[in-house]
Amino acid sequence: MKKLLQKIVGKSPWLYRINAGSCNGCDVELATTACIPRFDVERLGCKYCGSPKHADIVLITGPLTVRVKDKVLRVYDEIPDPKVTVAIGICPISAGVFRDSYAIAGPIDSFIPVDVNVPGCPPRPQAIIDGILEAIKIWETRM
Amino acid sequence: MSSFLKIALRNLLKGPSTDPYPFGETFVPKGLRGKIKYNAKACIACGMCEHVCAGGAIQIKETADKSGLEFIVWHNTCAFCGLCEHYCPTKAIRLTEDFHTAHSQEDKYRYVERGFIKYVTCARCATPMVPIAPELMTLAYGQVNKDIEKLRHLCPKCRQKQSLR
Ligand code: SF4
Ligand code: SF4
Ligand code: SF4
Repeated sequence: MKKLLQKIVGKSPWLYRINAGSCNGCDVELATTACIPRFDVERLGCKYCGSPKHADIVLITGPLTVRVKDKVLRVYDEIPDPKVTVAIGICPISAGVFRDSYAIAGPIDSFIPVDVNVPGCPPRPQAIIDGILEAIKIWETRM
Repeated sequence: MSSFLKIALRNLLKGPSTDPYPFGETFVPKGLRGKIKYNAKACIACGMCEHVCAGGAIQIKETADKSGLEFIVWHNTCAFCGLCEHYCPTKAIRLTEDFHTAHSQEDKYRYVERGFIKYVTCARCATPMVPIAPELMTLAYGQVNKDIEKLRHLCPKCRQKQSLR
């Protein structure tokens, strides 16, 4: 296990975050994994980047509202292949408590191929780290 | 300046504050609301949880062969709000402290908590009915004596007749 984790840590995918109309709850948890030393996602070799063109793993939050749909899809298309998509929170996975609202175009997997789901409202930072680990494993097979 | 040095020194002595997870054990705060657990034995199929569920995660449906009720919680739309546990009269549904929810896309629709309530038949008229959980008996009667225990095996109609006699 340790060897495997070391191998994973040795490689360094860059993370990119898309907010598809989230309530910000999940984004706060994502910020927690990155900015707070207690959870420090950079131990996994990951790093948040500011441009979609630098991204390897994309973390999507929010139920994909009608208003942001086109912009989200445009940004998503700018991320170079191969990429791994992780849906964070119940919003992108099933639209959660907003399901069936006139303002929601999601769930996200009807527009974007998703690889890993991390449900929760919001999920714990540790659960997000689990999801990122799973994404890194998928990413290694795609490189 | 000296107070800053004090803090720096204290932090140096305290060691890293990073949670070792996923390389080691993590902590779980008491009362964390995590994945739902369902106990079909205590459930009376009142439907309250399905009614109050904020995320629409719960479904109680009669099976195709009409042998009982199927209970499904889809974790992928559960908001961990805890309403189901709060309103469940027998606490058959509750939130655990399990937060490990990451799973791959293939499992999206398989990521559920399931339960099955098998119908029993009324001791008098043999109508199929939802079994009455012992949790409900203690809730309704406190002390359950022999006479009351008999009511437990009757369907609502026969129970009414029996109690009015
Ligand atoms: S899953 Fe919950 S916390 Fe996350 S964006 Fe949706 S409503 Fe907000
Ligand atoms: S915790 Fe809330 S959202 Fe989840 S099953 Fe219970 S009532 Fe539904
Ligand atoms: S889990 Fe509780 S609230 Fe839901 S149907 Fe069963 S007894 Fe009623």
